Amino acid sequence: MRAIKGVLLTCDSAVKQILLTMNEKDPFVIEDLDDYHLVIKADEEYRVRRELEAELEKNTYSLEAN
Amino acid sequence: MPVQSLQNTDVILPQHTPHPLLPFLQSQSQNTLTRLYQRPSSCLSIFRLLGPIERQLIMNLLWLESAIPAATMSAWVMPEGKQAYDEALAVMAGLHIAPNSTVKLALNPTFKSSLRQAITGGGNTGSFGTPADKDYKRQSANIENLDAYALERWETILHYMVSSGQGQNPAKPSQGVLYLLQRSGLMNTAHGAILQITSSGFQFLLHSPHDQLWNLLLQYLHMAEERQMDLVEVLSFLFMLSTMDLGREYSTEPLSETQKAMLEDLRDYGLVWQRKASSKRFSPTRLATTLTSSSPPLPSSHSTGGSRAADATGTVALSSGAAQQGFIVLETNYRIYAYTDNPLQTAVLNLFITMKYRFPNLVVGMLTRESVRKALSNGISAEQIISYLTTHAHPQMRKNNPLLPVTVQDQIRLWELERNRLKSAEGYLYKDFASQADYEYVLAYAKQLDVVLWESAIKRCFFGTLEGHSNVRGFIERRTGAA
Repeated sequence: MRAIKGVLLTCDSAVKQILLTMNEKDPFVIEDLDDYHLVIKADEEYRVRRELEAELEKNTYSLEAN
Repeated sequence: MPVQSLQNTDVILPQHTPHPLLPFLQSQSQNTLTRLYQRPSSCLSIFRLLGPIERQLIMNLLWLESAIPAATMSAWVMPEGKQAYDEALAVMAGLHIAPNSTVKLALNPTFKSSLRQAITGGGNTGSFGTPADKDYKRQSANIENLDAYALERWETILHYMVSSGQGQNPAKPSQGVLYLLQRSGLMNTAHGAILQITSSGFQFLLHSPHDQLWNLLLQYLHMAEERQMDLVEVLSFLFMLSTMDLGREYSTEPLSETQKAMLEDLRDYGLVWQRKASSKRFSPTRLATTLTSSSPPLPSSHSTGGSRAADATGTVALSSGAAQQGFIVLETNYRIYAYTDNPLQTAVLNLFITMKYRFPNLVVGMLTRESVRKALSNGISAEQIISYLTTHAHPQMRKNNPLLPVTVQDQIRLWELERNRLKSAEGYLYKDFASQADYEYVLAYAKQLDVVLWESAIKRCFFGTLEGHSNVRGFIERRTGAA
């Protein structure tokens, strides 16, 4: 029996795929649980959230930029 | 017509929500309340804060010299009104106005004699304030000046709240007000040393001025307790102010030390006006004199578009209508037209819209993803934005059903959801159990503690919260120790 400290992320599967891609570049995932859950290193959470935000932002169209 | 009959029942049965001050009063000791009831003005004010049934009961009991059997009173109550009657009695018992008894019904003697005195006049307790002698050298402040002063003070506070942390430098309210805003959780210093409006602060802006005022005063009362001020003095002074005449000057001579200290605070909030800090006389403003009445606490906000129109047609814009008058038009293309020249309202809108054009009486803006996200990241919720737009919708908008375009409402909510695509919870992943039985045994224990966030029987692992870890670990250790 083992207990591993981490952060449980609950997300939709699209976000999960983005996270897995990010993981290839700079690993932070401890365990891939199922389609909606991931366990990641606790001290990486802030960075992951920021990078995910930036990634999602790329896919939005803004009226104001024009 | 069905619509009309609906309105009629509304008039007959007005929904009475208890005044926010009542729970505070109920939490006070009987001793405090009895001391408060020695002042006729306090009794009258509390009487005005109570609901219609309580007022009716008090009036019935007021002129009786002795207690009456409770059955006599309840004989007046129709079966369907029983619950309302019982609730009213509970409120009165909580305030120690009428002691809770199933046999006899009577008013607290102190309350009774004070309220009688308030109604019939007489006595020289001075609890309604002592008017200052007429000053022939200087003219006393007239009502317009007082209204302007109160409005200016009050809007300074609200304006400071909305424009905080927006790079603007609005006029700062006094240190005491700032402290109060911080203490009440309406503003905090999350980002550096700059005071910023909080989520509850935004909700606060949506309330009516009367509720806002009591909200702050309640906080003031809590602070007064900590500052070792005598609560009876503080409360009775507020009640005294609420029974004073607007436009009359009162003398500070009969006030206690506590109450003189309060004058300074209340001046900052715009409740009283004084020529100078050392002045021996003060005038209550409309904010103060309407504290316990149902009339609007602020003079007609002459800056909204609605009342401007009323002025043009020559009618006097009466406060409640004008202040409550909506000014926002929201179109399905996310455009917002706000008919206002009030900097405060503009600043509130600026929290969640992108401004496009500004005209003397009109502000045009857009609800955009960026502007809404900015608001969301400040702790303002989508629901709050929607409810603000609903309460301040222009009369023209009221013809629409639903009031706000559904597309826009949905989009605001979607923008909020978009920010929450990722939920996280810190904890421990338990895996590699020796056997299925082992796994189930530990999982059952963890479930008992309600700490399981995720589980999978196939993978034979589960995720528990951080708080539950020490218990679960202890459980496993005891188990392996025993085995």
